[in-house]
Amino acid sequence: MADLGLVVADLVVGLMLGCVFAVIAHGLNVIWGVTKVVNVAHGEFIMLGAYGAYYLNVYLGFNPVLSVPVDAAIGIGVGFLFYFGLLHRELRGKDTITRETEMVTLVATFGLSLILSNAALAIFKGDAVGIRWAPETLAAGPVHVPLGGLYVAISSVAIIAISDLFLSRTYLGNAIRAYSQDIGAAQLMGINPTRIAAIATAIGFALTMAGGALLTVWLPVGITPLIGATYAPISFVIVVLGGPGKMWGSLLGGLTLGILIDVLPAFGISASIAVAVAFLVLIPVLLFAREGILR
Amino acid sequence: MRIPRMRFPTFGPTLYGLALVMVVLGVATPFLPIIVKVQLINFLLFVGLAYALNFMTGLTGYVSFGHAVFMGIGAYALGGGIDRLGFPPLLGVILGAGLGAAFAVGIGLVTLRFRGVYFAITTLVVFLAAKNIVPEISELGGGSGIFMNLGFQPLAEFYTIWTIVVLEIGLTYWVTHGRLGYGLRAIKSDEDAAKTVGVNASRLKLILFGISGMFAGATGAVYAWTLSAVLPDTGFDITYSLRMLAMIIIGGAGTLLGPFLGAVIVYVPYNYFQTVQSLLGLQLAVIGALVLLIALFIPTGIVGTVRRYVPTLRRYVE
Repeated sequence: MADLGLVVADLVVGLMLGCVFAVIAHGLNVIWGVTKVVNVAHGEFIMLGAYGAYYLNVYLGFNPVLSVPVDAAIGIGVGFLFYFGLLHRELRGKDTITRETEMVTLVATFGLSLILSNAALAIFKGDAVGIRWAPETLAAGPVHVPLGGLYVAISSVAIIAISDLFLSRTYLGNAIRAYSQDIGAAQLMGINPTRIAAIATAIGFALTMAGGALLTVWLPVGITPLIGATYAPISFVIVVLGGPGKMWGSLLGGLTLGILIDVLPAFGISASIAVAVAFLVLIPVLLFAREGILR
Repeated sequence: MRIPRMRFPTFGPTLYGLALVMVVLGVATPFLPIIVKVQLINFLLFVGLAYALNFMTGLTGYVSFGHAVFMGIGAYALGGGIDRLGFPPLLGVILGAGLGAAFAVGIGLVTLRFRGVYFAITTLVVFLAAKNIVPEISELGGGSGIFMNLGFQPLAEFYTIWTIVVLEIGLTYWVTHGRLGYGLRAIKSDEDAAKTVGVNASRLKLILFGISGMFAGATGAVYAWTLSAVLPDTGFDITYSLRMLAMIIIGGAGTLLGPFLGAVIVYVPYNYFQTVQSLLGLQLAVIGALVLLIALFIPTGIVGTVRRYVPTLRRYVE
């Protein structure tokens, strides 16, 4: 039997890790849920967000939480660029997203991810960098809670809560939801599909890059141009677990992964097997609950 | 007395052309300098991988991001066969092919239930799980892998991969021109409609996934043979998944010539860039740019586009 204190400590870390997973997957969730396009280059935009936070720290002394709004603002610009450069010609004038469009965008964003990760490798070089930001640790018995991770967890939950409120309580949010449910009917209600899709993509990118900034807290010496390849699959799994387009689904999926990865080792299972298990959870979920865990 | 004219079965110019290229390579290679031999082995490894993925992604339209998992299985089959069972390398490659097919059928039984993006993500997940699990198995050398000490056997390696590629080209032709081909084209355009008219879609997909896994396993085994070692990082290398996909998208998914063409286009810059200091490391970025442009503007790849817009060449390119 595993030591209870150890399990609780791992659970706390797992919950915080789950929150950061949730926030990096959240942007993908929004874009996938609204436009039905899966951005394979998602991980590379997380990576760009992380580098954004790193350079803000180097030149302006920002800490990762402070650089979130700046990264998000950049993300909005990048999102519009992405939408009008790539998605618009695939989505324009379509009432339903066919399998063909799905495959074309999948392959196109796959090409984009190769470009971005390798161009980043040429520009940033392969050396791992990191932000030195280490607030103190709260100690409660055997459980040590790093405050940095706690701030990130709080910001993540806040971001997800705000996005949920935005989608359910504002006019623009309702328009986005209408678009995601039925493009044709939304048009009949006077909603401009291009505008909505572009805005949703921009919001998704803002969230993605903000997530990249928050992720840097967990990578004190680990920001490299290749982190996208690690965090993109994690994001895909999280979004599928929660169900694309469900805001709290990101949090649920993220916590599932975070807890599995951090708590299983406390029971004597090796860390990489825990990662494998966390990934493979996707398959039974897809088999038995195609729309994700959240109904 | 009239002598009946001898008739050859007609296979079409593309197959004859590919056969000619392969025969020339097969005959000429023993006389070429060693450096060219090594280059040709590496090139044929790319061709072998491209055709392997073409069976699945090209012919059924199911995009797989995790095909390198079968390379890894093949590589470990070769390593385990040589190191633990004392196999000769060729038997190891055959074992790799068998295990590749077996795992593909096993994995396919579950993952082929998902379509489109969900299938692509599931394959990626299976790949990552395997990559994390295999280094934990101490019988397979754990994290440090298996060193085989095979020495340098360029001709044996060359003819093994050459045979694999010839089999792949032949089988691709047979599949696309036979009864299977009708069913596959139906699945690729509309799976539900195909089922309605009596195509056994799940069985066809499983067969193709098995063939695909078999050849990816065999090619992975030959790749490990050229390295004379199996390491978790070289066995399960995601960049090979990505390269496979890039090759068939550029060349033309589901065609007979496409994977070969794609392999040339991906391999030549890949090799050239490694010799030029300023371009070092940009290979995949350039390949990515090509994939992006082709996906957006000519989604059927080079072969598909030529067939569509140049009717006079349609007879020669398929």
